[in-house]
Amino acid sequence: MEEATLSFKARAERALANPTLKIAIDRTTGTAERKRAVAMSQFPQFEAARERGKRIKDHVIAHLDHYLLEFERNAIASGAKVYWAATADEASQIVVRLCKEAGAKRVTRVKSMLGEEIGLPHALDEAGIERVETDLAEHIVQLGGDRPSHIVWPSMHRTREQVSEMFKRLHRVPHREETIEAMVDSARRELRDKFLSADVAISGANFLLADTGATCTVTNEGNAELTTTPPRVHIVTAGIEKLVPSMGHAIAMLRLLVRSATGADVTQYTTFHCGPKQAGDRDGPEEFHIVLVDNGRTRMLREGMQEMLRCIRCGACMNHCVVFRQLGGHVYGGTYPGPMGAVLTPVFDGLAQSRDLPHACTMNGKCQEVCPVAIPLPTLLRGWRDRSWREGLEPTAVRFGLGLHTFVASRPRLYRLGTAIAVRMMRLFSRGGVVRGLPGLGAWTAHREFPAPARRTFMEMLKDQENAR
Amino acid sequence: MSAREAILNAVRGALGPRTPDPAALRREADALLEELPAIRPGLLADDLVEAFIARLLTPKVAATAERIADAAELPAAVARYLEARALPAAIALQPAAVLQALDWSGFELHDRVAPDETLAVGFARWGIAETGSLVFHSDAETPILANFLPLHHLVMVRADKVLAYLDDYAAAIAGARLPRNVNIITGASGTTDIEGSLVLGAHGPRYLHVVIVGEATGGG
Repeated sequence: MEEATLSFKARAERALANPTLKIAIDRTTGTAERKRAVAMSQFPQFEAARERGKRIKDHVIAHLDHYLLEFERNAIASGAKVYWAATADEASQIVVRLCKEAGAKRVTRVKSMLGEEIGLPHALDEAGIERVETDLAEHIVQLGGDRPSHIVWPSMHRTREQVSEMFKRLHRVPHREETIEAMVDSARRELRDKFLSADVAISGANFLLADTGATCTVTNEGNAELTTTPPRVHIVTAGIEKLVPSMGHAIAMLRLLVRSATGADVTQYTTFHCGPKQAGDRDGPEEFHIVLVDNGRTRMLREGMQEMLRCIRCGACMNHCVVFRQLGGHVYGGTYPGPMGAVLTPVFDGLAQSRDLPHACTMNGKCQEVCPVAIPLPTLLRGWRDRSWREGLEPTAVRFGLGLHTFVASRPRLYRLGTAIAVRMMRLFSRGGVVRGLPGLGAWTAHREFPAPARRTFMEMLKDQENAR
Repeated sequence: MSAREAILNAVRGALGPRTPDPAALRREADALLEELPAIRPGLLADDLVEAFIARLLTPKVAATAERIADAAELPAAVARYLEARALPAAIALQPAAVLQALDWSGFELHDRVAPDETLAVGFARWGIAETGSLVFHSDAETPILANFLPLHHLVMVRADKVLAYLDDYAAAIAGARLPRNVNIITGASGTTDIEGSLVLGAHGPRYLHVVIVGEATGGG
């Protein structure tokens, strides 16, 4: 929590100084990158599938009101109850209220980034309801008392050694062998009875199917179905951008989502939930509630960020981001890290709070290249930089520096004089043809060097040539 | 103004004036799926059942599979599976008529799956060759927990119910009321949450064995 009060720069410095963190990040993102590359090589149609996925999402967003109403109508017909929440607070208060109405003492939760976004873990804790995270990574996050650092692998900031230590300290019957298999087994034992004794289950949704009112979740562990089946009440929270017209469209999107996230062709478990327990069913909840959440999404639509609403939360952009891979997810300070997080966090937290995020980007374009729905992330980040400038949020030094540059660059004589002095000065600091340090630029040159500039500027040499003619 | 009205108004305000015709939107949405057959991953064999089995056996899915000619041979197949792993012949049998009708003499059967169940035998409605997936619908014969609690999950599926693609399943049930749960299950449960390395047997089954009954044509 203390971390939230630090500046982005301070958080980044702290992350860079943490050697275990870098090992943990490299292990997971390295594996993810390799597996995705293999999956892509086995699916040469990916580019065409991606274009199709982009068009499916664009179609839904262009008719979002229609699909929201179709989904609501069909969900209600299936026996579900549908709620709408304009803000994060409204959404988590609806969930807390439903839990209280159900007399819930213990709720089990399936990992959902929307749940994190609306602050649901905190809201449940505040309401005094026991919250059991059932996804292995979220379980690790809960034991560690920290926050998710990745949208697919929330505990990727932990090495196996750290996880082992935590499980041994906190599990009732911990593992003895130092293998990942034994640790997974330890979590399986620890959570077994909690699945079956919860009063309410809370999950998210990867897709909302308009034509049936069903929700879809994709998971690998089997915890989702073990969570959502036994309790009397199941609550789903989902962003309004999760809609697709039908199951066929969801399947087309799944081919993109899973390969991009983990490199698998499909997750172990793809489950469609449609209403509560039906007549004759052997198991399942008696109540099924769906909370549709806006929380900034309609604002994105209004303010020219509708392309970001295509995002299917695969995490490929962060796995391939040179900045994320140095810093990890916590540094970003919001629910969503990496490139997609740097676009989304200013929407949720305000640009004044998060203007550093769009700047923490090299613009190498890798995120857009791997995005399964072709979101122009660098363009959207540049949009935030632009806005930060226009709204006067850039610090004085930056504004002064750029102002000075504009003044000089728009006056050719002054500019030529300035550069002629600058190249001569820089040569004074070069050793053996290389500049390794410049006064006032120590932070920049600490990790970089560049060749000494030519003796004279291009314009000076051109002028000489013209005079000699 | 309710949150519902506020959200819908905000969407409409952002999208500008339109007069959406539901039938036209449906056609537009359907058209987005028309080219899909050309941009789906290839199957591993020409024959659907062979492609299905080949996919089940890939390291990514990591299931095991066998074929039998008739459902009556299933108890013997289960017995072989148990014997090979030195497991007791006490099994949870999904309460599906097609399974209950078989001769299970020599087994100790129960139809409620225990939290620490060793082995459950189930019946899937469809198989999917594209992904090596099994499809279950929750109903009076199919408790959903039976697919997730056991350590070993043995599943029978009919060869003539193996479909080529996931889309074929969506087409097969289009227009029908969905069950509470559709489980599309691909391999045993797994997790990559610790350092990205795959470990099987997270919260669901650690082993998945698929028994394919009969032939794809001729109503096996």
